[in-house]
Amino acid sequence: MQPTSSMKEEFLKKWQMGLQIYRPLIDNTSVSERRKAIKLSADVAMASLRKGTTCWSRALIQKTATEDNFLVRQMLSGIKAETLINKKLPKVMCHRKIVRRSKMILRRRQSRSAIEEVAAKARKLIKKKTQGLRNVVPGGEFMSNDVLLIQETLDYIVSLQTQVNVMRSIVDAAEAGSER
Amino acid sequence: MDLSGRFGARSGDGVPFREATALESLHLGGGGEEFRQMVPPENAGGFTALLELPPTQAVELLHSSSSSASQATTLHSLGTLSFPSNPLLMERASRFSVIATENQQNGNVSGETTTTSSVPSNEHIKTEPAETETCDQAAVEKQSNRCGKRKELDKKVKSSTKKKSKSSEENEKLPYVHVRARRGQATDSHSLAERARREKINARMKLLQELVPGCDKIQGTALVLDEIINHVQSLQRQVEMLSMRLASVNPRIDFNLDTILASENGSLMDGSFSGATMQLAWPLQVMETEQSYHHRQLQQPPSQQWPFDGLNQPVWGREENQDHGNDHNNLMVGSASLHPNQVKMEL
Repeated sequence: MQPTSSMKEEFLKKWQMGLQIYRPLIDNTSVSERRKAIKLSADVAMASLRKGTTCWSRALIQKTATEDNFLVRQMLSGIKAETLINKKLPKVMCHRKIVRRSKMILRRRQSRSAIEEVAAKARKLIKKKTQGLRNVVPGGEFMSNDVLLIQETLDYIVSLQTQVNVMRSIVDAAEAGSER
Repeated sequence: MDLSGRFGARSGDGVPFREATALESLHLGGGGEEFRQMVPPENAGGFTALLELPPTQAVELLHSSSSSASQATTLHSLGTLSFPSNPLLMERASRFSVIATENQQNGNVSGETTTTSSVPSNEHIKTEPAETETCDQAAVEKQSNRCGKRKELDKKVKSSTKKKSKSSEENEKLPYVHVRARRGQATDSHSLAERARREKINARMKLLQELVPGCDKIQGTALVLDEIINHVQSLQRQVEMLSMRLASVNPRIDFNLDTILASENGSLMDGSFSGATMQLAWPLQVMETEQSYHHRQLQQPPSQQWPFDGLNQPVWGREENQDHGNDHNNLMVGSASLHPNQVKMEL
């Protein structure tokens, strides 16, 4: 599925709004400063498209709020900014060593058949992958169940695709313009 | 599949959706908003595949505008079979119908479709009218009962909403979950809930496989997850690279381009940029660097009302060939104003 044109439009508008905030600081002479400004405003624009309905968008906004609180407040309008920034998402944390040790103890007591072992290994592998996915998707640690995780990943991928498409077209335009 | 139409938009743009089929007859006319028909496959199996959709529709409904949510209640009363004009939704609907028909041909998923059809019937998405869905589901179940392919236990287990409201993205609460157990499967509530959950996960994994290029061929969840992780990471890296490139191209170019392009609306986003737009865009930045205040005042409101007119293309072409110096600043301002009009003409 491809991102729709209206999504791209909205993203562009919001991104531009975010960049306008940086406009007074137009003498960001260093490339890294500008890059950060571009990336942050693009991220917030992307996340604000979802209006706080998805977990990843909230986590992403919170993450950028730690880097540039002012930008986030300006870009999001009204009450939503406060709630999104200040709200702490419930963290699902487990001390992995302890969990692992207790699982090993449990496993010793269980009877092992060949089929079970294979299935258990497959399950472990899948758990590792889902953990990897949680690391990649913003706010993944907060998603307690797999269903939610996959749904968020879906949405996140679509939004990322939008972002990449819009940014790429702008960059191509800019570079084509600068070649003249 | 790239569907035309707007995501969550309600404008009557008149773009025909390709998937409007048999269910058009059921469309009794909506309320103030326009709705398009979902892709309704002809066979029952396809429709159950449609019903299989609602887990993913939950995602869509989260993103559809609040107006659609308010419309949903009126929809119930009207009893119209209407669906939000989400291209996302219809994309997935069509995809699921394709998947379902394929699966049906394989003949191994008939039980699954009924179970999933019963599950979504209770994770009832707001914009789906209950009446048509349940009567269709009843029809489906009758058909599935008639065909002797599967032997099913005629046991309907009613479990509480707790199990169904596990996933936090579904915010509708329905009293009962009607789940049909297959032969030889445990029918206690735990395993049923477990099975429903697994099927939800599988449905979404299928969607993910479609989304990520090259995942359809892969067998096995672990490898698919690997691919998904790689894809997400590559997308993130691309964003970084693009922002780096944009930052290094020109100090002002990002601001100006956005201002210009925002006034172009979606038409520019759809296709590739015409060369003219590039030519039009560049002199504006040059002007910005030289006349920052003057130009900034011009560009300040994003949806720009370009007050000037009168310059035509040949003049513009002449301008860009010349050295972008200070001499033609005013002329450039005027020609910059023509930019949106010209591009609209071209596009």
